[in-house]
Amino acid sequence: MHERLSFFVRRDSPIHRLNPMTKVVMALSLVLIAFLSPWYWTPLALFLLVIIPLTLLAKVAREYWSFIFKVILPTVAILFLMQALFLPGESKIVFKLFGLEVTELSAQLAFRNVTRIIVMISSFTVLLLSTHPSELMSDLTQRGLPGQFAYVVISSLQIIPQMQAKAQTIISAQRSRGLDTQSSFFRRVSGILPLVGPLVFGSLVEVEERAIAIEARGFTSRHPKTFLHQIPDTSTDKLIRWILAALVLITILLRLWPS
Amino acid sequence: MRIEIQDLYFTYPTGVEALRGISLTIESGEQVAIVGQNGAGKTTLVKHFNGLLQPTSGQVLIGGWDTTRHPVAKMASRVGYVFQNPDEQLFSRNVGAEVAFGPKNLGFDIERVEALVGDALALTQLSDKTETNPYDLSATGRKMVALASIISMDTDIVIFDEPTTGQDAVNVRRIASVIAELRRRGKTVITITHDIDFCAENFERVIAMSQGKILLDGTANAVLGQEETLARTYVDPPQLTRLGKRLGFRDTVRNEEEFLDALKR
Amino acid sequence: MAIVNLQNVTYKYPLTDVSALQNISLKVEEGEFVAVIGPNGAGKSTLCYAIAGFVPHFFKGELTGTVEVAGNESINSTLSEWVLNVGLAFQNPFNQISGAKYTVFEELAFGLENIGIPRAEMKRRVEDAMKLTGISDLADRSPYSLSGGQQQRVALTSILVMQPKVLVLDEPTSQMDPIGTREVFGVIRSMAERGMTVILVEHKVEWIAQFADRVIALKDGGILLDGAPSEVLTSPLLPAHGFATSRYTSVARKAREMGVWNGENLPVTLDEAVEGFSQRVKGIKS
Repeated sequence: MHERLSFFVRRDSPIHRLNPMTKVVMALSLVLIAFLSPWYWTPLALFLLVIIPLTLLAKVAREYWSFIFKVILPTVAILFLMQALFLPGESKIVFKLFGLEVTELSAQLAFRNVTRIIVMISSFTVLLLSTHPSELMSDLTQRGLPGQFAYVVISSLQIIPQMQAKAQTIISAQRSRGLDTQSSFFRRVSGILPLVGPLVFGSLVEVEERAIAIEARGFTSRHPKTFLHQIPDTSTDKLIRWILAALVLITILLRLWPS
Repeated sequence: MRIEIQDLYFTYPTGVEALRGISLTIESGEQVAIVGQNGAGKTTLVKHFNGLLQPTSGQVLIGGWDTTRHPVAKMASRVGYVFQNPDEQLFSRNVGAEVAFGPKNLGFDIERVEALVGDALALTQLSDKTETNPYDLSATGRKMVALASIISMDTDIVIFDEPTTGQDAVNVRRIASVIAELRRRGKTVITITHDIDFCAENFERVIAMSQGKILLDGTANAVLGQEETLARTYVDPPQLTRLGKRLGFRDTVRNEEEFLDALKR
Repeated sequence: MAIVNLQNVTYKYPLTDVSALQNISLKVEEGEFVAVIGPNGAGKSTLCYAIAGFVPHFFKGELTGTVEVAGNESINSTLSEWVLNVGLAFQNPFNQISGAKYTVFEELAFGLENIGIPRAEMKRRVEDAMKLTGISDLADRSPYSLSGGQQQRVALTSILVMQPKVLVLDEPTSQMDPIGTREVFGVIRSMAERGMTVILVEHKVEWIAQFADRVIALKDGGILLDGAPSEVLTSPLLPAHGFATSRYTSVARKAREMGVWNGENLPVTLDEAVEGFSQRVKGIKS
């Protein structure tokens, strides 16, 4: 059982050492540039020339590709097909599939949209692979993100795996009372309540206790918070963020420029 | 209904070898307590009795049934398992429905289910709470509902996992009387417990486990008197046993009766 | 000076008919170790919540009477200020882990971050508290990888770093195995020896008998008995009202009825029982 839910992979790399905010800005910039740039091949170029080098620089290439193949590729393949088959457009028909037509135009649009999505998912994946969630949330909180939001994110990451363990125990307990988890009858709705019920009600009890516990440690104090860890924010970080902001601005200008 | 364990080994998927060669027989109607430190393998062992876990090697026979040949839902007709935390079991809108869940799953007809539910509620002193939502009851009440839900299944073997944790004296006594009644009905009762006094006062046979093996297995008096061996699995002897030892009694005493008898001599 | 002062406290949870606390008055001196015993439903947890301010601030409901700690009344304070006066820990160690931190050290600092303690002092307090409770070796572990006893000690330490004036503990060992129980009582005992005011709700009478200065028996929201352990724990009222008693006490009581107990008072601890009975058992050293 995983003790925690997270993408984060501990490596010693220049990307890991960057300030979390810098990496957030990087991810957002890549997404904005991919979606706003007027040049058709932008997303693909970003993928080949920026994303892939980043994964190598951050030493997370293997985890990145594993995630891409297992999760992203099937999804984008379906997305591509959906768009290619159903987007309207009058142009040359490239081929037919199940009586539906793929035209040149729809294929182009589908390709562009799919590459944009790949850039979006990839940039956030690199962010999450190279940034510890606790550090990310702490940095954002220090910059003004509400503490409660950060708490919800981090505690969910740690507590959901614990709930998985709890769910397993509930299943065992109900099986021990004769609940048949193997027959097709199980799929009826009434078979779900004995499993979901205890999970929900039991969690409500736990949530109240946890609320008391964090309250007892000043969670709702109005005091300005302090932070145990100081997360370095170097001049390199600041420079990178300014450059990225400038690139996004240029992209927007290029798009708005009538040509 | 006899429980036969032959040379049982079990390793979790994580690689932890939790049971390392357990062999034991529990005859019909015995009252057995299993004690030992956390991680000794007590819960792992007991989960083999109803098939929740299957042996890595070795055999578990419940009344002749090989647990690898019957699904857990079927084993539930012979072995009832009361889990430690009632909140991981309770889901029905009222106590009556909750207690009826088990026997219904076992396929009993409606009259038998009603009779079993009525009996279980009477035994756990919940007869007046049939319409109450289990989550409206206190933690004590919910524990008794969990007990009733398993008793109503009328299994020959009943397993209790830490039945007295967090319970007050009154409820511990109630639980003890439920166990006594089950004994009177000829059921086999197996319990895992850290409460060594509760164990001494209610169980005839004690099995002490340590690191996946059985350290001691015998009558309560025989086992609970072996302080040094029990200390290896972080089990303290019962209060009266300790007192008897300090006073130099020849025999091991485990409850008030035996203590006072020994004192008079 | 009484550091905790309850006067005529009556409290009813919202949507209930029966008061959970009925006209409770009690004083606790600084440095006292008070144990609270009682059957389930007696109001022990509610009493803890009242002293810690969660009643009425968290649970709402109707509170009459005054709850004072170190001269301040709980109704006049916000809950987040009050928790700096009174630390609260309870049964389930898992639910006391915030979930917001990945190591024990950070977990202990969580409360201090919330109240704005400067970084250097934060580190100092955490390191000192870990030494006091003996968990320095757990500093880099994930709180979720710990045993129950370890988690409970982390929970206690995370309250201690807040430097409360009073420590309120609601059945901290109920879910512990014997090792965990011993570890947790060890921490509580060393806190008490350092002069911390401790209010401990417990079922395990033989432990209370060894450590507590005073025992309060609660029943149906009211105080039944309040006095020294040797008085309260041997009172015949306890078995009559369904309280837990030490087996040494109850067997000695029966022995006395049979005429085979020679001690003056009934025992509560093993040593007292040995002494009392050894006078009866010939040729045995006590």
